Amino acid sequence: MYGSASTHDLPTSAATGLENEDPILLAEFEARIGRGEKIEPGDWMPALYRKQLTRMIEQHAHSEIIGSLPEGTWITRAPGFRRKMAQMAKVQDEVGHAQLLYSAAETLGKTREQMLIDLINGKSKYSNVFNYPTPTWADSNVISWLIDAGAIVNQLANAKGSYGPYCRALDRICAEEAFHLKYGHDAVVHMATGTPIQRKMMQEALNRWWPAIMTFFGPSDKMSVHTEILMRWKVKMASNDECRNQFLDMYVPKIWEIGLTLPDANLRKNEETGVWEFTEPDWEDFKRVINGDGPCNAERIAVRRAAEENGAWVRRALLTPKTQYVRPLA
Amino acid sequence: MINSHDPRMNRLGLPDAPEAPAAKGALDQFGTYEVFHQKKEGAPFVYVGPVHAPEADVAFLFAKEQYSRRFACTGMWVVPTAAITVTAYVGDQESAYDTLPLLPKSSAPAAGLADDTAAAEAAYAAGEEDYDIFHLKKRGKAHQHVGKVRASSPADALQVAKGVFGELRPVANVWAVRAADFLRSEDEDRDIWTTTPEKKYRDAISYKVQDRIEKFKAENPQSH
Ligand SMILES: [Fe+2]
Ligand SMILES: [Fe+2]
Ligand SMILES: [Fe+2]
Repeated sequence: MYGSASTHDLPTSAATGLENEDPILLAEFEARIGRGEKIEPGDWMPALYRKQLTRMIEQHAHSEIIGSLPEGTWITRAPGFRRKMAQMAKVQDEVGHAQLLYSAAETLGKTREQMLIDLINGKSKYSNVFNYPTPTWADSNVISWLIDAGAIVNQLANAKGSYGPYCRALDRICAEEAFHLKYGHDAVVHMATGTPIQRKMMQEALNRWWPAIMTFFGPSDKMSVHTEILMRWKVKMASNDECRNQFLDMYVPKIWEIGLTLPDANLRKNEETGVWEFTEPDWEDFKRVINGDGPCNAERIAVRRAAEENGAWVRRALLTPKTQYVRPLA
Repeated sequence: MINSHDPRMNRLGLPDAPEAPAAKGALDQFGTYEVFHQKKEGAPFVYVGPVHAPEADVAFLFAKEQYSRRFACTGMWVVPTAAITVTAYVGDQESAYDTLPLLPKSSAPAAGLADDTAAAEAAYAAGEEDYDIFHLKKRGKAHQHVGKVRASSPADALQVAKGVFGELRPVANVWAVRAADFLRSEDEDRDIWTTTPEKKYRDAISYKVQDRIEKFKAENPQSH
């Protein structure tokens, strides 16, 4: 799930470094993207392109693997065998997405070891929504449906980006997400149209998650120099506001039609402009949580770290001593 | 101690704050293998992506889980990344074969399609081997198997492939791999691929959510 826009912070005004690039190679690179051709790992690319893509794909991978935790919590307690199987399959898909994305990022030169370490040591970010807990089954359902829905908006946009390995990974990911979205929608509808207690549980979960969902696509775009370059290079495919608006347009009506409400009295579509209006999310709180002070940051990292450390002896035992590291090809 | 909503997490007794920063040695995540997948009987093998694994058998196991769990397939090949020889990448309208060093006419290899004629036997005896050749037709798509050639080295295999497959333009990139370097699924083991279709709960179409929504709307005309 969980595309890029929600997490990756652009360097604000600093130099792009483009003045240090070879102008002929840069022109060829831009002409290739202009023709609609993809960039492949062996191609020359500007340092800024490599750096931003590495950061974006790596953060996407971290979001998949950390995002599997709040839903994974509910596998053993999902109501009924079929839902346990489906929840487990979905969580396994998300971990698989992380594998695909780590490999795509690795083609740009950063090793998987370094990415995993940067996650555990808090150097790399992941989607901030996973720093919130899933205290009930209904909270897990909200993630399955609406966080995945938001992620799909991002991922479909990014699948049209310029970097070949990322596109190949996203094509597979998007195909698997179709199940997640339907599964999540089904689970939410089941609760929302169920008994009064189920309904109340779902409404409360939605109220808890709505502020985080509104921050999912990241702060409003200021269209910095970098954003323009990254859009020209097809690294960033749509602005945060465009993605958020598309998400609201697709999903708010589906939430309202099953009799659920959203905790924002200002939420409405301006029929003249086609743009959704809403109360501005609390970006100070967003910043505080993404920088480590959220309800689950410590737990997410501790669990990931324990998994890595507990598996270390198995990996050491399996390692073939004469192995030589070669970057994956594509 | 970490206090989680998940009892399994609480049983781990994880500390609130990390002691020292975590670290990993080189190759903690192993080397990489590249994976190719056959969608249905008779279809060409197509590149699906890499896996990290300590050896070929484990790579095959991981690849089966990663790439065939959700997508039906009838066969799979894995090969160490290091075993693949890669040409330059060219534009979507060009041929990567044009970037190979030009050979003087006299030393251009005779087309070496792998077959079992007497000539082939002599060539194998002289140290030639089979190579699998893969083409990337368009950047951003996946490499696809186009056939085998017989050659004495990877560089030679690319030259031979140019003679055999060079007319198939455009070719944005070519991979050549010694056939012996692959671990391939066996025909007699094809039962291992039949696990996918029975897991209906992973199909979007098995969730009939619209019926329930319509029923709800009919019973609650005022609530939306
Ligand atoms: Fe995902
Ligand atoms: Fe998902
Ligand atoms: Fe998800």
